[in-house]
Amino acid sequence: MTVTNEELIAFADGELSGADAARVEVAVAADPVLASRIERERQLRARLRGHLDPVASEPVPESLSLMIAAAAAEDMEQDMIDTPPPAQTPPQAKTQPARVLDFAAARARRKAESKAAKPAQQTVPRRWGIGAAIAASLVLGLMLAPQFLGSSAVTERNGALVASGSLARGLDTQLASDEPDALRILSSFRRENGNYCRVYEAGATSGIACKFNGEWTLERTVASGKSESSEYRQAGSPVSELMTAAQNMAVGAPLNAAQERAARVDGWGR
Amino acid sequence: MSNNRFCEELTALLPRLRRFARGLTHDAADADDLCQQTVERALKSRQQWQEGTRLDAWVYRIMRNQWIDEVRARTRRSQTFAHEDEGETVGMAGDRDTENLVELGNIGRALARLPEEQREAVVLVLVEGFSYKEAAEIIGVPQGTLTSRLGRGREALMRELGETA
Repeated sequence: MTVTNEELIAFADGELSGADAARVEVAVAADPVLASRIERERQLRARLRGHLDPVASEPVPESLSLMIAAAAAEDMEQDMIDTPPPAQTPPQAKTQPARVLDFAAARARRKAESKAAKPAQQTVPRRWGIGAAIAASLVLGLMLAPQFLGSSAVTERNGALVASGSLARGLDTQLASDEPDALRILSSFRRENGNYCRVYEAGATSGIACKFNGEWTLERTVASGKSESSEYRQAGSPVSELMTAAQNMAVGAPLNAAQERAARVDGWGR
Repeated sequence: MSNNRFCEELTALLPRLRRFARGLTHDAADADDLCQQTVERALKSRQQWQEGTRLDAWVYRIMRNQWIDEVRARTRRSQTFAHEDEGETVGMAGDRDTENLVELGNIGRALARLPEEQREAVVLVLVEGFSYKEAAEIIGVPQGTLTSRLGRGREALMRELGETA
């Protein structure tokens, strides 16, 4: 039984399967010379990984994550269901010619920019105005409804997301007992400061909105996995997570039907 | 929805991309620049990525090509300088690199001394864990070419490390 050098290497690289792998394995077990060659291969691999793996454990520079987050937000603006009239559609970045920069130029450019701007925000396109912090949260799991972001249903105020348009109207008027429409109310409750909050599900997203100063502030927003793409569905249920969060925020039991009606008449405390 | 998925997956890939960049460039600052440019380029071409195919291989290919372009540009620059300096030889393994090599340790130095084509083969298979087939596709060569570069790179590393072990 002979094993060629190529076979031995391929075996060490995990490229052999089934009968071939078994054959080499038997040969290696029987031959100390082959065994020591395999061992050297493994050591080389271990040393290379020992040298480079620590890089993968370093924290990733924020500029990279933010650059991706900004792109994700851009896509959401374009994908939203409430498509704005064509005249308002922002010009597409795709039509711009690719910039080819060498490293020295890129470094010089970034140095110049970092003098003018905070380093974390330097790579976020200026035309995307909602803010880098929110952009980052998009990618970090708090997925906002594409049909809401950038549409009139959600606006941004002092760094917080606030319901407007159809979402605000739905939160104001719909009851938990109502037939599910575009918006479904899962639960209503009062939080510690007396404000009313509502757990809602609206298409691809769910969230908790609390009425404060006359506006529904979106305390939490998650992808509910109800979008057309089933791949979105995560192992845990976002809605049950939301309900748990709501329980923790709530003072007392959720509003019953009568209390909900009363709160609606009251304008949710305004 | 595919674009959100793309961005999520790309974010998840960043630690590995940084490792690959370091393996290719053996220099932290170059690796950061390479990552930055790779992510920029990947985002710009994100419409071209086909869902269902491996995003990692796709982005690795972008990074690899970007680096090869950079190496070529540097070689051109250094040749120009060398000409101006009346024939002094300054190449990729010139002063700047030798300086950095001191900090790398044995294995890092040995890896840095490999020719570019052997180093990328070694890093893709032995560190990044791609199969021969995948690595060959990333580099854009036949599998036989990949395995022979890998073999030569491996032998060179073994030789260098054998002396110091």
